[in-house]
Formats: sequence, C-alpha cells, structure tokens
Amino acid sequence: MSIQRDRRAEVRALWRDRPRSRLLPWTLGLSAAWTLYAWLSPDLDLGGFLARRRLDNLLAFLDEELVPYPLREAPFDLGVLWSWLTGIWNEVGAESTLATLQISILAIALAGVLAWPLSLLTARNFARPAPFEALEHSGGPGARAWRWTRRGASFLAILMRAVPEYILAFLLLAVLGPRSAWPAVLALAIHNGGILGRLGGEVTENLEPAPLRALVAAGARRGGLVAFALFPLTLGRNLLYFFYRFETCVREATVLGMLGIVSLGYWIQGARAKQYYDEMLLLMLFGVGLVLAADLTSALARRSIRRG
Amino acid sequence: MAEPLWGQLRVQGGRRRLWILAVAAAAVLSALGLGVRPEGLVPTGGGSSILASFLGAAFTPALTYEVAVPAGTSPLVLKVLDALRRTLVFAAAGMSLAILIGFPLGLLASGAVWDGRPPGRSWVLRLTRRFGGTAVFVALRALIALMRSVHELLWAVLLLAALGLHPFSAVCAIAIPYGGTLAKVFSEILDEAPTDSVEVLRASGAGRWQAFCLGLLPRALPDMAAYAFYRFECAVRSSAVLGFFGFPTLGYFLKIAFDNHRFHEVWTYLWALILTVALLEVVSSALRRRVVVR
Repeated sequence: MSIQRDRRAEVRALWRDRPRSRLLPWTLGLSAAWTLYAWLSPDLDLGGFLARRRLDNLLAFLDEELVPYPLREAPFDLGVLWSWLTGIWNEVGAESTLATLQISILAIALAGVLAWPLSLLTARNFARPAPFEALEHSGGPGARAWRWTRRGASFLAILMRAVPEYILAFLLLAVLGPRSAWPAVLALAIHNGGILGRLGGEVTENLEPAPLRALVAAGARRGGLVAFALFPLTLGRNLLYFFYRFETCVREATVLGMLGIVSLGYWIQGARAKQYYDEMLLLMLFGVGLVLAADLTSALARRSIRRG
Repeated sequence: MAEPLWGQLRVQGGRRRLWILAVAAAAVLSALGLGVRPEGLVPTGGGSSILASFLGAAFTPALTYEVAVPAGTSPLVLKVLDALRRTLVFAAAGMSLAILIGFPLGLLASGAVWDGRPPGRSWVLRLTRRFGGTAVFVALRALIALMRSVHELLWAVLLLAALGLHPFSAVCAIAIPYGGTLAKVFSEILDEAPTDSVEVLRASGAGRWQAFCLGLLPRALPDMAAYAFYRFECAVRSSAVLGFFGFPTLGYFLKIAFDNHRFHEVWTYLWALILTVALLEVVSSALRRRVVVR
C-alpha cells in the first residue's frame, strides 16, 4: 500500500518536473485559433465554392480538356498518343527541360558560394574578436565591430531568404531584362544562399569547440582556421544541406519560367494562355520526371557523402 | 611512383571532393549551355534606372499612396494589413488541410506503423506476407512523390483551369504539395524516432497499436509539430506568391504597384512580408530548439 503511494508520489513529481516551455502552448493555441478563424472567415467563401457550374467545369476539364487532342474524337490508340508525346518533347520539351536543369544547377552552385561566407559571419562562435574562446570579452572596439558584422550578415541572410524566389525573379526581370536566364538563376541563388547561409551558420555554431581552441592556442590565425579546420569540418553537413536544397531548386526553376524565362514554365504558361490544357499537363509531367530524377541524384549524393 | 588520379581522389574524404568537382563541372557546363555571361548581370538602359529608383525606395516604404486615388479608397496601411491578413488566412487554411492529408499518409507510408519493430529490417517482406500489399505501399509512395514534385504554383494553374478563380483553389494548391511533403517528412521522422519505449511496451504485452500510439507517436510528435510550423512559414511565402495568379494576397498588390512603378508602395508590401516571415522564423527556430530534444 505504502509502496504504491510512493510510486504515485514519484510519478506526480516526475510530472511536475517535466520539461515545460511556455512557447509551445502559446504557438499551438495561436495557430489553432488562427486556423479556425481562417476557415470561418468570409475570405474563403466555402459556400460559394460548391456551386453547380464549378462541378460542371471540373468534369469538362477532366473529361475533355486534359485528354490529348488527337485522342479526343478518335478511339484510343497508343501509337497516336506516343507520336503526340514525342512531338511535343522534340519541339519544346527536351530543350526546356535541359534549360530548367541547367538553371537549377548553376543557381545552387552560386547559392553555395554566397552561403559559405555567410555561414561563418553569422556564427556566434566565429564572428567575434577571439574565435572559439570560452569567454566572450565584452566591450572594446573590436568586439563592437564583430557584433555589427554578425548582425549585418544575419540581417542580409534573412532578407535573402524572406523574399520568395518568384518575387525576386519578377523584380530582377524588370532590371536585367528577359534576354538571358540570369533573373531566374540569381533569384534562386539569392533565396537558397540565404537558407544555406543560415543552416551553415548553425553547423559552424554546433562544432565541437575544444579542438578549435587547441588550434587557436597553438597560434592558428583566422585565415588558417577557416581554410584548414572550419572548411573540412563543416563540409559534410553543408553538402547534405546543399543537395537537399538542390531538389527544391529544380522544382522552383520550372515555375520561374512562367515569368518569361526559358525554362519549362515558359511553355507551360504558353500552353495555358492558348488553353491547350493537354499540352500543359504533359509539360508539367516532364517537370515531374526531372524533379524525380533530381530527388534520386540528391539522395544518392547524400548517402555517398554520409558514408564519408 | 605517382598514384593514378582516381586513386588519389579516393583517399579519405574523397567522395566529398568528387561531388564538389562534379557540381563545379556541372555548373560550368550549365552556364555555357544557358549562354549566360557575367556582363549580362549589368543592367542596361531602362533596367539601371529601375534598379536605382527601386533600391532607393528600400528604406522609405510608402505609408500613404504615392499617387492620387479616388475618394473613399481605404488607406494604404489598412490595405497592406488586409492583404497580409488574407495571405495568412490562405496559408493557415492550406496548411491545416495539408496536415489533414499528410498525417495519415505519413503514418501509412512509414515502416514503423506496419509493425512495432525497428523499421528498415525487413518490413517489405513482412508487409508482403501479411497484406500481400507491397503494391499498395508502392502506390502510396508514388502518390506522395507525385503530390510533392508538382510545384504549388503549377497546382494553382491546374486548379484555376479546373475550378476557376476561387479562394479554395489557392487553399488546395498549397494543401496538395505541402501534404505530400509533410507525408514524406512525417514518415521519415517516425522511422527515425527512438524505438526503445516501443520495445518495452511490446515486451510487457502491449498490442502493436498500443505500442505505436503510446510508445512511438509521443516521441515523434514534437518533431512533427516543429516541422509543420516551419512549413507554415513556407506556406506564407507561397500564399503571397499566389497573388501573382489573381488571388487577393500580397503578391497581387505588389505586382500592380511594381507594374505602375510605385516602388515605395512595393517596399511596403515587401517589408510586410519580410517582417512576417522573419517573425515566424524566430518562433519556429525557438520551437525547434526547445521542443526537439535529441
């Protein structure tokens, strides 16, 4: 009997001392309240959605407009379907799928180049007068300069990643003109550079400090630390993030074409404007194929890098 | 004797070096293939004046309209806040629907659900034996991949053509690809969650579902919640961009202001978006730090 009571007291004590965070219930509560508000708000107009003509429109779309046009009047024939498919692939598909891939590869490579200095300058353990020292000396002009450098770099990284790629590309298109693929490449590079910079900063901050302190004590200076300790130590993790972002980059490069840059999206937008929805769907499926191939490559790369 | 190049590359860390070289070579080839040159980065003609006046407006966002507007138009600040509110409404509705889709799909697609044992051992075999349902499993994975690999803006284009311009099209355009992503990540989180408590529960006689619901799910839920909140931040960005396709979110008004060269107003919309996303990011990273204990 008394053993049982002890147990209960123990459980109660454990429950009382459980790790608690006020942030979690607040975020959950606010999220739930806002979601409820969103579904009830007149902006969603759920009642108006279930109109009869919308259903007719959907059925016509599925039944009629998505069917490849050579098959609409004729009976199903695999040969006809195949020649329609290869026709579009040869005409625009192959070239724009390749361009989509090229845009995303160049963009992610540039993003990596942009992110590398950010990953050092935003890291609290590196961006200070004495890197990796256990105690931070407050005060002094050096400390202030480093603090502002770090804040500036963090702010820059936030700006880079807070603006969506599509809006960045839209703005860059007005500045650079639609002559080249630069607006799409730069937009992807800037956004992903901001994301990789932050992830890389976390990698640098999570480094084991003892060996680095030993290097500093042995007289290593900042340049040497960066080149011979930080780069190789963070490389593995950073590469994992790099390939993970590459997947998203490919997906995104497809749609940036809709602004008028020669990726798959350009032709998707063209087919959409002409209301050739069968062709539009096929071009999207080319994009799906590309994304799946990129996913596979990225998964292979990450597995091979994890194995060292 | 000098080692062959391949041998040198295969010393420790060689794989990483190989991947870096491959990426660099692919990037150079891509640049050549696209025909992009460094001089293309310099704006010419009208572009440079747009750039100058656009960047000049960055730290002076408009608080009132830059040009005369008809009497009775609501003040700019209210208009921006209303666009922001609608952006958040679409994002929250899309995200909650995505969780409704992604959670069950993620459970079904994870090896951990099909039996209470550590995943990855031989779940394929066991699945085939028990349900003869490898086909179902593969179909599920394919469905998730298909949902994910079509970008939300392409879903929006499809749904616009199928259903017309209605807010619910935007909500679905967010919910479908995000649901797929959540399903994938949720299943990975479940597969990687520590299984010690499941084993203890199973050993003391709990059923498979009891062990799963009481042993595994509580270990994985904080991780899942933190990830879902991070995706909400992405959904806000997507929702803003959906404005470019005619939905009344931030992107819609931003595009109109930019097309009319009202750059100070553009920055008002941009700062509204940037500050919101930055705030959500602070909360989401604090959540991850506090909730995800490893």
